[in-house]
Amino acid sequence: MTSEPSTANILLIDDDRQLAAMLGDFLRPDKLSLTTCDNGEDGLIRLKQESFDLLILDVMLPGISGLDVLRKLRQDSDMPVIMLTARGDDVDRIVGLEIGADDYLPKPFNPRELSARIKAILRRAHAGSATSSDRQFNGINLDPRTRRAAVNGQGLRLTGTEFEILHCLLETPGNVVSKEQLSERALGRRLLPYDRSIDTHISNLRGKLERAGNDSATIQNQRGIGYVLIPNN
Amino acid sequence: MRSLLIRIFLSFWLIIGITIGAAALAGYYYAERMRDTVENFASSDLLLDASDVLAQEGREGLRRWLEGRPAGGGITLLVIDSNERDLLGRRLPRRLRHLLHSQDSREHRRDGTQAESPRNLRPARALPQLVASDGEVFTFLALPAREPYRRWLDEQAVPLFLFFALLSSAAVSYLLARTVSGPVQRLRAATLGIAEGDLSTRIAGSLHGRRDELGLLARDFDRMAEKLEQAAKQQTELSSNISHELRSPLARMRVALELARRQAGELPEFTRMDQETERLDELIGQILSYARLDAADTERATPVALRDLLEEVVENVNYECRADNEKRVRVELRCTTEPNLTIYRGALTSAIENVLRNAVAHSPVEGVVNVHLEQDAAGILISVVDMGDGVPTNELEHLFEPFYRTRATQQKEARSGSGLGLAIAARAIQLHDGDISAQNDAGGGLRIELRLPSGESD
Repeated sequence: MTSEPSTANILLIDDDRQLAAMLGDFLRPDKLSLTTCDNGEDGLIRLKQESFDLLILDVMLPGISGLDVLRKLRQDSDMPVIMLTARGDDVDRIVGLEIGADDYLPKPFNPRELSARIKAILRRAHAGSATSSDRQFNGINLDPRTRRAAVNGQGLRLTGTEFEILHCLLETPGNVVSKEQLSERALGRRLLPYDRSIDTHISNLRGKLERAGNDSATIQNQRGIGYVLIPNN
Repeated sequence: MRSLLIRIFLSFWLIIGITIGAAALAGYYYAERMRDTVENFASSDLLLDASDVLAQEGREGLRRWLEGRPAGGGITLLVIDSNERDLLGRRLPRRLRHLLHSQDSREHRRDGTQAESPRNLRPARALPQLVASDGEVFTFLALPAREPYRRWLDEQAVPLFLFFALLSSAAVSYLLARTVSGPVQRLRAATLGIAEGDLSTRIAGSLHGRRDELGLLARDFDRMAEKLEQAAKQQTELSSNISHELRSPLARMRVALELARRQAGELPEFTRMDQETERLDELIGQILSYARLDAADTERATPVALRDLLEEVVENVNYECRADNEKRVRVELRCTTEPNLTIYRGALTSAIENVLRNAVAHSPVEGVVNVHLEQDAAGILISVVDMGDGVPTNELEHLFEPFYRTRATQQKEARSGSGLGLAIAARAIQLHDGDISAQNDAGGGLRIELRLPSGESD
């Protein structure tokens, strides 16, 4: 993509300092600058003081848990978040996505996979300026350049992933978009077995649209195929 | 009341006491009534009174005496003169008239002896009569009281007391039954809650005021539930700590491996190390999920459409199969029933998934794994049949033991899972009171059958 910044600033909150140091070494050649922090309290302070492009958050932290950090962060920020969860712990993963994490990676992960996911999310976040004009559908309004969303003129706060999913569905209202497509577009990766992340993002999106007073369009699930945005009559 | 024992004892005592008391009262009342009847009247004080009055004041005096007699007392006294009229002019009940006529005409003298009769004659059971000084004979008729309620009481006394006894003993019995059955119901609901995995269930709150055995039982139950909850929590914490502690070095190893790769370039050993760390990770996951199934399960049973669950698992396993371009195994699902079951979703999912992965691992190139969901009289049956070589009959029963490897897999030394997959499946099926079995299919492959009870497990 054209306007990718030279170096992205990433904050990693993980209590495993050795891992964090090695990850910093690993990501540097990919033009990803890693700042590390070994507990949630300090992490939240740094997030307030400095500006980061993306947060990598370990769920298992001493003191306040990763999920609590995410909850606090989401009160006033829509910055992209990748969660590191324990493999097999579906609860943490699903709760994390529900609170508003963009993606997750089970630990231990292949660092190349982490790098790929970071880049996919950053690329998406910066892709907006290059793409087309406003999208409108039954009172839902998306501006890809500013990445702003509105329902009936009222501003709607969406995470990057939610915005991208809604954008994807708005491009072809009435047509089913497969979960694979949504995953490729919104998360920049393939759908995995037992991957409920798209479903969780959709359910968050539905909740937000509903609370914003949208009653003119519904995101419907087409079993085994994908999702479709249809107008309410 | 402090003790249930005392409560039950006293209640039964009370019921039996009421019944005996009511019976005794009814008997006493009946006897009392009999005392005032006609037969006893002759020897009563009343007749002596009347006799005195008649001797001193004559007919008119007797009439006044009769008039002045207070009403009630269990009887109505009629005094009949020689004209067969009552002194107070009351109507003589028709059924009593013949009594007067059959009356022996012997006269009662003032001294009570009888005239002109053999000494050994048995006195007839006659109506008492008094003779005035002028020779007029007055016959006394004592009738049961005339007030309607008294008469009703007289007639209904026995059924009435029976009714009262039944009613009061029913009330006591009901209260007793309720004090026992209410708390037992609550205990039962709580026990079911625990059985379904809600270890936060407590009951003492609702039975707090009780100091009897049921209250004690409720508190003991709560203590037990708390211990269970703590144990389950510790188990979960331990699992997640083990997971964290074992996986942290693995995570560092993988990053270190990638850094080494970058510096030294790609080496076949790196690929091997990569695979082995992945395998170790998988093994840790399997051991933990087996341990979690072995301990008190913390998952709650929920209603699940089994067909949907199977479709999801089959879809995911097929997805994994597609990643293996050399083998091209696929799983096919056929459902002839769509049961809704209350199950531990996570446990059953991993059971089916492990059986399917095992079948895929032992399938030949381009093999098909057939999954069939059906229902028969014995319950729900999920059968998984692969196109592999099957398993020697003497090894079949060991398939579900942890880390058991058939001789064929030992020889192949192939990457074939952790050795825990089928053990996890067996544990998960046991958790559902189901049954898992393996046999060689007529077609040559291995056939694994998962049986689940079809009814709601109450």
